[in-house]
Amino acid sequence: MKKEEKVSIRRNTTTSANDVSIFKNDSIIEFKNVTKDYNHEVVALNKVSFKIKKGEFIFLVGPSGSGKSTILKLLVREELATEGNVIVNGQDVANLKEKDVPFFRRKIGFVFQDFRLLYDRTVAENIIFALMVVGATEREIKMQLANVLELVGLTGKENYYPNQLSGGEQQRVALARALATKPSVLIADEPTGNLDPKTADEIFKMLVEINNRGTTILVVTHAKDTVDKLNKRVIALSAGRVISDEKGGYAGYDY
Amino acid sequence: MTTRSYLLKEGYDNLKKNASKTFSTMLIIFLTLLIVGIFIVIFQNVNHNIKEVREQQGLQAFIKDGIKESDIEYARSEILQIEGVKSVDYISKEASYQDALNVFGDQSYFLEGLEKVNPFPASFIVRFYNIEEANAIKEKIEKIDNIYNVQFNEGTINAVIIISRIANIFLISVGSVMLIVSMFIISNTIKLAVYSNKREIYIMRYIGATNSFIRKPFIYEGIIMGVVSSLTSFMTISIAYVVLYARLPKVGTSLGIFGFIPYSQLWYQVLIILLIIGLLIGMIGSALSLRKYLKV
Ligand SMILES: Nc1ncnc2c1ncn2[C@@H]1O[C@H](COP(=O)(O)OP(=O)(O)O)[C@@H](O)[C@H]1O
Ligand SMILES: [Mg+2]
Repeated sequence: MKKEEKVSIRRNTTTSANDVSIFKNDSIIEFKNVTKDYNHEVVALNKVSFKIKKGEFIFLVGPSGSGKSTILKLLVREELATEGNVIVNGQDVANLKEKDVPFFRRKIGFVFQDFRLLYDRTVAENIIFALMVVGATEREIKMQLANVLELVGLTGKENYYPNQLSGGEQQRVALARALATKPSVLIADEPTGNLDPKTADEIFKMLVEINNRGTTILVVTHAKDTVDKLNKRVIALSAGRVISDEKGGYAGYDY
Repeated sequence: MTTRSYLLKEGYDNLKKNASKTFSTMLIIFLTLLIVGIFIVIFQNVNHNIKEVREQQGLQAFIKDGIKESDIEYARSEILQIEGVKSVDYISKEASYQDALNVFGDQSYFLEGLEKVNPFPASFIVRFYNIEEANAIKEKIEKIDNIYNVQFNEGTINAVIIISRIANIFLISVGSVMLIVSMFIISNTIKLAVYSNKREIYIMRYIGATNSFIRKPFIYEGIIMGVVSSLTSFMTISIAYVVLYARLPKVGTSLGIFGFIPYSQLWYQVLIILLIIGLLIGMIGSALSLRKYLKV
């Protein structure tokens, strides 16, 4: 509630043409000339600009060290841009108050290459954990648990521990956990990096399905064949710069 | 499971995960609270006795030598008219001499030759209702004719007061050092718990947990340690007191020297103070470490 009010205040008081344009086109994420250097040494991102519309499916590709993970970290405000603006849902993340950051993050689901599950808890407990974190009621927890388990095809495995599951299944648990809190954006950092191609395909299919239901998706990946096959918008990075941003893959590049 | 019971369970799980660390931490808090408890017990007993003895023995007002009996009677009636005075007893020079003989017992031979001179003055023993008014009453008696000196009749309790002061200073300084030490030990234990839960905390942050949600299990952990320690130290003190009380002189039954208060007049003070202190060091101890080690 609070956040919405803030957004509308911003809308009324801003005069800059750029800011107004965010609201005309319904971009959910915007990077404007973003530069990021770590410790004033490594320039991880160099004047990066792009817009992502609500409901888009986007691949973020590029060689290792090109700044892909940095983009995701800036998005969830784990890091702050050195220069430029990162705007999510019309809000410049640099202007977020420290105490509002958790609420901001609840709108973004995150999936990692290494799953990041809690291994001393069952599948159900891992998902319930996420719902507890956001203060869901018992009813909501029951409903969402059943929903997301079905969505990722793990119904019946709720009492398994992560170690009793295959890598693909573990990533599906992570996916279910990320989706349980109904984020409007899902970001994934090499979600299939630890999986064999067949399992990876299943995960990508699931991501497309989730995207079809309305969630905006941004995926960092090295899975070249899948990127080509799915024919989505691809943002390609090299040495911290956007070198290509178009639909249909980035065939000329080894990633 | 509600969110609150979830957070409490997390706090409890943390305690179990580091069982040996938890145990040694609680042992230190237990010892600290034991000292605090002993201090409360001694403080209350000594205060009660000082009050009791003062009320029992009251003031001693010495009467000038060689004055007429009617003047003595007059002085007595003056004292009785002072507000707050309960009773006035006259002790003649002869009675004082006899008292001295009794006090010195076998060693009283040196008093024998003094019988005729009798250096002991006559006096009034003045008792009053409220110990708080003692000083005001003392000042008023001093202004009465033929009275030359007024003293608290507390020869026996002076030693008690001095000993209790030394004990109190000792207990207060050891106790406060241990309170501070306990707080740091709690904070160190919580720091380890934070460290061993780093993964969880990292994941929680990504899911969008608020700082207070992340902190709560650790605060509960500190509170549980504090409260359990205060209850065990309360039990220990209670048992020790009741056992000792059966063998020690009781207040009111002894000859006005030193008697112990029954525990029924004491336990709730000990319990409340120990619980509050246990709770506080648990909370402050964990808050200390969270501020430093849980940058969320
Ligand atoms: N926390 C950090 N401190 C210093 N340098 C970092 C940090 N994180 C990333 N970098 C550097 O920033 C550059 C981009 O890293 P990253 O965004 O992780 O690339 P990618 O995900 O594309 O492999 C790399 O040179 C990396 O070494
Ligand atoms: Mg990376």
